[in-house]
Amino acid sequence: MSDLLLEAKGVGKRFGGVHAVEDVSLRVYAGSINAIIGPNGAGKTTFFNTLSGFYFPDAGSVSFTGADVTRAPSYDRVRMGMGRTFQTSSVFPELTVYENLAVGIESADNLSFRFRTLSRAQRATLDQKVDRLLGFVGLGAVAHRPLAELAHGSQRLCEIAMSLSTEPKLVLLDEPMAGLAQAETSRVVSVIRNLHAELGLTVLFVEHNMRVVLSLAQQITVLDRGRVLATGTPTEISANAEVREAYIGKEVIEHV
Amino acid sequence: MKPIGIWGWVATAILFVLLLLAPQLAPRLHLALTICTDVLLFAIAAMAVNLLLGYTGVLPFGNAAFFGLGAYGAGLSIQNFHVGFITSLVIGTLAGVVGAVLIGPFLLRRRGIYFALLMIAFGQVFYFIAYRFTNITGGEDGMNFTRPPLEGLGIHLQDAGFYYAILLIFTLVVVGFWLLVRSPFGRTLVAIKQNEVRARYLGLNTDRFIFVALMISAAIEGLAGACYGLSIMFAYPLLLDWHQSGDIVLMTILGGAGTIFGPLVGAIIYVIGEDILSTALPWWQIPLGALFVACVLGFPKGLLGTALDLLPGRKNRIEPGHDLDFAAPIIADRETTR
Repeated sequence: MSDLLLEAKGVGKRFGGVHAVEDVSLRVYAGSINAIIGPNGAGKTTFFNTLSGFYFPDAGSVSFTGADVTRAPSYDRVRMGMGRTFQTSSVFPELTVYENLAVGIESADNLSFRFRTLSRAQRATLDQKVDRLLGFVGLGAVAHRPLAELAHGSQRLCEIAMSLSTEPKLVLLDEPMAGLAQAETSRVVSVIRNLHAELGLTVLFVEHNMRVVLSLAQQITVLDRGRVLATGTPTEISANAEVREAYIGKEVIEHV
Repeated sequence: MKPIGIWGWVATAILFVLLLLAPQLAPRLHLALTICTDVLLFAIAAMAVNLLLGYTGVLPFGNAAFFGLGAYGAGLSIQNFHVGFITSLVIGTLAGVVGAVLIGPFLLRRRGIYFALLMIAFGQVFYFIAYRFTNITGGEDGMNFTRPPLEGLGIHLQDAGFYYAILLIFTLVVVGFWLLVRSPFGRTLVAIKQNEVRARYLGLNTDRFIFVALMISAAIEGLAGACYGLSIMFAYPLLLDWHQSGDIVLMTILGGAGTIFGPLVGAIIYVIGEDILSTALPWWQIPLGALFVACVLGFPKGLLGTALDLLPGRKNRIEPGHDLDFAAPIIADRETTR
């Protein structure tokens, strides 16, 4: 078994009196593709947010690359090698695609506190890195358009490229297919597959679309009402009677 | 940042020729030269506000605290230590920075309207200190001081000489500002303005960036205040007051937050408008207020920001600073359980 990259142990999170997440544990190994699934309100996004530092959990712990990050601020986790996207694309809408990526690349290269324009050599390096990311997600043609002018699917691809701009080991994707048209979905699916296949990154994503989950993920964690219902490979999960009966619905799995 | 193009350079060149000729042009327009000096001073102050409002997305509604600190810093150092012209400006600038270092850590705990309110409150603290400590500051009556000679040369800068000194400072601030907003730091500030959560998820400790922006802004504002103190040879508590802050914010928004020369355009309209209207009308604030309301409702990018959009080929450009996020949300990844 390869290295343990991310581990959550007994994570709990309450909002007022509601236990959004209770005693959830998860292990993500380097080089794998992992999915978290579950019905609405299962606590998927809440759990996801405790992993990325958007919230701090009330109970349990999160460790990343062997270090305890339970209460580490988001920007520290990013610097340790964690990238993430959001359910509703989170970008800099008025900046161009190029600029959106440049902000992340400059952050990773410790250039963000530079008060003068980049030197010629720095500029060339930046252009090169931006081009590589644009090529990876296929947005080269719109590099100098503001994000606000782009279609939803392109914004999502740009956001994925932004999460790569900080050179992560692990990419967290929160419902990457949410709100996308069919054609856009298949494009995003192939990009996620390439994150793993081409770049060798570890991926953890939350997703509703069962077809996507079963075709992409190697390891699936099923959440229901804030707790882990089952963990396993796609075959194990589709065969799990508890998961089937609990909520997924027989026909969904049979159709895949 | 946006490319300014050949016409941008031409317009900038014409602008600076006009500013250089102002001592000759002003009398023909029945304007006192001190009004031209005031325009430049407040343009510098409004650029300080612009850095925060137009490029970082925080609302510096108590900015006059730094302006007043600059004026008092210059005045007190002249009165007590008989420093020269440039030294008094440097001390005024540093006074602004010290103010920012003192209140910055508290301001950074909040965003949006709460940042603005906290800053107003801290500004009023400085106002009351100036008001109460009569033996140092002269209290409500303010303090008089003389404009010291230029170091080394012993020249007393007056009238046109003083105007050109301020024009030189203005030019240096413009060039510095232009370089700053085109740097990676400037790009990062605009990114924070547009989406602070995303900036944090690019590994950026946004508090540190906003703090540094606040210090730079306070330095510029302190410099403007010190220049103003030397201009009128007087410092008084109302320079620190929130009304003063409001005037400078107004100039910034009127001219166009998020543009390099918007603050100058705002200062020209506000200072000259005030000068002309206040001698003609006892209720001169009303037309200026109406213009401000029209500006916020009709063209929130300000006069210059809107004019730039009307230029051919610029229609679809979306610039930072056109929307005023008065109710920007408190960022979410700062948990209450911390």
